[in-house]
Amino acid sequence: MNKLIAGKKWLGSVMAGLVLVILAGDALAHGERAQLASMRMRTVHWFDTKVEPLNIKVGDIVTVTGKLVTSEWWPKHMPSIDETVFLNMGVPGPTFLRLHSEVNGVPMMRSTAFPLGKVYEYKTVMRARVAGRYHVHPILNVKDSGSLVDKGTWVEVAEADTDAPFVNEVTTLPGETIDLETYALKGVYTWHLIWIAMGVAYLLYWLLRKELFIPRFIRIRELGADRANELLTKKDFVVSSVFFTVTLAVVLAGYLWAENKYPITIPLQTGLVEVEPIEIPKGGLAVEVDHATYDLAGRSLSMKFQMTNNNDSPLRIGEFLTANIRFLNPNVDEGEIYEGEEMVSTDGLTASVDTIQPGQTVAVELVASDALWEQYRMTGLIHDPDSRFAGMIFYYDENGQRYFQEVGGAVLPNFF
Amino acid sequence: MSEIQENGLGAVETKARLLDLKSLDSPKAMKLYRRFDGIIILILFMFLILGVQIQFTLTAGDWDYWIDWRDRRWWPLVAPFSLLLFIAPFTYGIWARVRLPIMATAVTLLLCLVSWLSRYLNFHEFTHFPLSFVFPSTYIGLGILLDCALAISRSLLVSSLVGGGLFGALVYPINWSFMAPYKVPVEFNGMLMSVADLMGYQYIRTTTPEYLRIIEESTLRTFGGSVTPLTAVFSALCGMVIYMIFLWVGSWINGLDKYTKRIV
Repeated sequence: MNKLIAGKKWLGSVMAGLVLVILAGDALAHGERAQLASMRMRTVHWFDTKVEPLNIKVGDIVTVTGKLVTSEWWPKHMPSIDETVFLNMGVPGPTFLRLHSEVNGVPMMRSTAFPLGKVYEYKTVMRARVAGRYHVHPILNVKDSGSLVDKGTWVEVAEADTDAPFVNEVTTLPGETIDLETYALKGVYTWHLIWIAMGVAYLLYWLLRKELFIPRFIRIRELGADRANELLTKKDFVVSSVFFTVTLAVVLAGYLWAENKYPITIPLQTGLVEVEPIEIPKGGLAVEVDHATYDLAGRSLSMKFQMTNNNDSPLRIGEFLTANIRFLNPNVDEGEIYEGEEMVSTDGLTASVDTIQPGQTVAVELVASDALWEQYRMTGLIHDPDSRFAGMIFYYDENGQRYFQEVGGAVLPNFF
Repeated sequence: MSEIQENGLGAVETKARLLDLKSLDSPKAMKLYRRFDGIIILILFMFLILGVQIQFTLTAGDWDYWIDWRDRRWWPLVAPFSLLLFIAPFTYGIWARVRLPIMATAVTLLLCLVSWLSRYLNFHEFTHFPLSFVFPSTYIGLGILLDCALAISRSLLVSSLVGGGLFGALVYPINWSFMAPYKVPVEFNGMLMSVADLMGYQYIRTTTPEYLRIIEESTLRTFGGSVTPLTAVFSALCGMVIYMIFLWVGSWINGLDKYTKRIV
């Protein structure tokens, strides 16, 4: 056996390749950890993302809802979201059918623009199309910047109860009900077959002849360029003329047939839609950032603020959100965690001041600390070209009313 | 024989050419040539499949992948531009050396076949897009017209003007026979969309957002909105020019054989 293997180094390579293929896992996510830490912290703050239900069958409806705030600390070196943006869904291809999407109640079939520092509420309704287990992410495609991905939620899609093929019916304005899964395919197949048949016939005419490449090459070399056309016969001329005429006739006939069958057509539609941001209740907490440090060893972000409570009610800091990671203050029993929600540190936030009384100005230190910093590759923060952070503070009054506002500023790394 | 010698060929070359010419009368040699011709067709067509697929994907990819990209302004310009710059150099080579007007038809036919293979396997089977959303366009008829123009006129210049022009002008009409149903209007959430737009919205493409489509962007907005015929005329002009330019490129490439002869 050893003799057999001896000298066959390629066998080792093949085996190693096979092992790699066998051990390779599925690609289960959409690269949400791959983006620069600053891109995730200072672009869009997604929150209240809710995907429901999580266990469905093909044909069932899934609704994705949530809110987002466009960051005022948007990196200057990145094209901004206030130009062109499209609300999309991060799923593996058309495994779901998008039935409806809206932002602040405005349908989002087209692209839009989101000014910075505003709040938007979105909703996407989808119908499961292909069975499988999918990590569903809301996504904002920002023109010239790329995709900004919210956290994912796993959705399990089982096969439908019946074996009937998936149908996606709509009614056109002329009144015809069509199934988009197979719409007009008969015409596509027929016309393609006609053209393929004509192409094959034309090529066969020229290629099925006694003298082809080599003999013709020899003859043209002998005749010279001036007399090379003598190789083309009268029959070639006639056949080519017939093909030319028939092709033009088929093009014209096809065009007229389609014009007659589909007399009402429109050009592709495009353009931007406008969306007004929503008004949110103001909590009356004035926040001034003093200083922020990122402790590499401790995997924690420490932020020092001067906070003034201008509300009539005492306020408590319950949550800090950045790069889709939620750091919850365990002393403040607020902040819903949705079914299937990921990237939540339930005791990741400590506040040096528990309650800020009305009219009080106080220095507050918030420490967001968890292994999630490492897990979601946020430690790359120190390698950013513009070392600043941004995030959302969620705070609550004595009635449990939630308020939020964005904070941000420079951040210094602490290496030791 | 005397002509060849007058052309300044050496005795060995002259003798070789004479033998080549005589071989055309030999059934044994012709049998061998036919086998070589078969190999040439195989290699040439494989190369064309690979080449045109890569070239067309890189230059006109999305316009041909998705039905909601095939607009009346850009697609009829981009597609013939992309194809003609590939077809022209091959046409020159094959025409100059063996006088076969087949390259435009061969390229468009092979592109059609390989596109269907790709759309079925990659787009439909692997990523679940319905074929009604990703079927390829056809350019075979345009290839036939271009080749026939060359075969009838026996002139590269005339074929550039007639064939190149028709190749550019007829992209929209030749595909309209099966593309028209996708431009039927639909009302969706209070907005007017074509069936193609609606499919682009419903069948989710994570990294191909709506704004990425380069459609309906140009300044051809006069002449009462007759965009399609105007684009056809402009595309015809572009087709002629592009075809001529790349025939010239083909002639330049064809002339490179003198260097190989020197090396040999």
